[in-house]
Amino acid sequence: MSDNAMIKVNDLKIHYDNGRIKALDGITTEISKGEVVVVVGPSGSGKSTFLRSLNLLETPTEGSICFEGVNITDPDVDINKHRQKMGMVFQQFNLFPHMNILKNMTLAPMKLLKIEKSEAEEKALSLLEKVGLKDRANAYPSQLSGGQKQRVAIVRALAMNPDVMLFDEPTSALDPEMVGEVLSVMKELAKSGMTMVVVTHEMGFAKEVASRVIFIADGKIGEDAPPSEFFENPKNPRLKDFLAKVL
Amino acid sequence: MAEWFQSLKDEFILNFIDDNRWLRLLKGLGITLEVTLFAVLIGIVLGIIVAAIRSTYDNTPNIKKKKGAGTFFLRLLNALCNIYLTVIRGTPVVVQLMIGYYVILASSTNKILVASIVFGVNSGAYLAEIFRSGISSIDKGQMEAGRSLGFNYAKTMIYIIIPQAFKNVLPAIANEFIVLLKETSVAGYVALEDLTKAADIIRGRTFSAFMPLFAIALIYLAVVMVLTWLVKKLERRLKNSER
Repeated sequence: MSDNAMIKVNDLKIHYDNGRIKALDGITTEISKGEVVVVVGPSGSGKSTFLRSLNLLETPTEGSICFEGVNITDPDVDINKHRQKMGMVFQQFNLFPHMNILKNMTLAPMKLLKIEKSEAEEKALSLLEKVGLKDRANAYPSQLSGGQKQRVAIVRALAMNPDVMLFDEPTSALDPEMVGEVLSVMKELAKSGMTMVVVTHEMGFAKEVASRVIFIADGKIGEDAPPSEFFENPKNPRLKDFLAKVL
Repeated sequence: MAEWFQSLKDEFILNFIDDNRWLRLLKGLGITLEVTLFAVLIGIVLGIIVAAIRSTYDNTPNIKKKKGAGTFFLRLLNALCNIYLTVIRGTPVVVQLMIGYYVILASSTNKILVASIVFGVNSGAYLAEIFRSGISSIDKGQMEAGRSLGFNYAKTMIYIIIPQAFKNVLPAIANEFIVLLKETSVAGYVALEDLTKAADIIRGRTFSAFMPLFAIALIYLAVVMVLTWLVKKLERRLKNSER
């Protein structure tokens, strides 16, 4: 497993308030190329903090994260370069409201990867076509529904050709009838072989798509197993309790 | 009635036509506009720099605990900015103008330049806080989205945060320009012949106060109204780009 490990997390700790609050308290795991890892847990357990630490939106207090063989927690590493390879999708979409959809998607490829405008737009349009939004290319984010915004947010990240996609509760801010359209885009993406780390409350998605499910509670990994075992034969008592509540 | 009109006409001729006194007002208006324009430019540049330093300082977590030359430099700059804001906002602009003209820049004889610098430095302090409030009005998620795509802090600011912040603070900036235009009317304290000083000189010559003072009041009002109209137009254009 360790040879094709894309992300290696070693004893990761994130403490706030001089150690009084332990958001993450020693996480060690690996994420291999092509894996879809779903992270679940009670609210406040640290699962979002864990995901956000993978591209250093949260600064680790201790421990290390290796991404494609580079320890990105090393202060001498140019994190911006590595973030280009890690797409991220947020709960609140975070589209840029002052730019239309096409501009939202081409800004980073043009400015960071120095791709020609015509080429970037062509790529953006073909990505939009895949998620059924090609006709909205010139719309502004405020004109889209929540589900449409999140689909745009996904393809905006994909426009950078990332090696891994991080999803931070991508369906939690959506109206129920829009959850399906976003999940189906994510399923398609998983099928295409993209490495994905997904924090979500959608247990159905975890069962169907995940290669591994991780349960985080109190900043620690409580269980890490394939979905069949995770849902049918949980060992951790807190996970049993959690599953009884959500299933 | 006819008598009243006649005296009004005489007053008008005395104050504006005789000795080509209207030229004095025109020149004064030119100087007022010139000083305001240069002051605005200086103010914007200073304001952006100070706002950028203060925002970066505020956005750097654990800055008090961190060590290193960069952090030290940022803390030093932030402290300087705080002193600047406190001093400028805590003293009257007339006092700043006189200190600028008679003390700090006493070697300069170019009154327009001195006034522009003083009003610019003054305005920069207010604009800095306007820009900073604009930057902090933008949702944190926008910075995170920019950073997660791979943009560094400065580029995220330039492409994503500042364009949105600018739109939010445009009315406040316009208001500051209007305040500045009117504030330059104290330039007469250092004998710079701006619009107000010109009217005052006319009043001294003609011993008639009504005409020149109401005339400049109307001129200031007209300029402010034009500025307000321009800003409204710009605001509408910026809004249109969002839908």
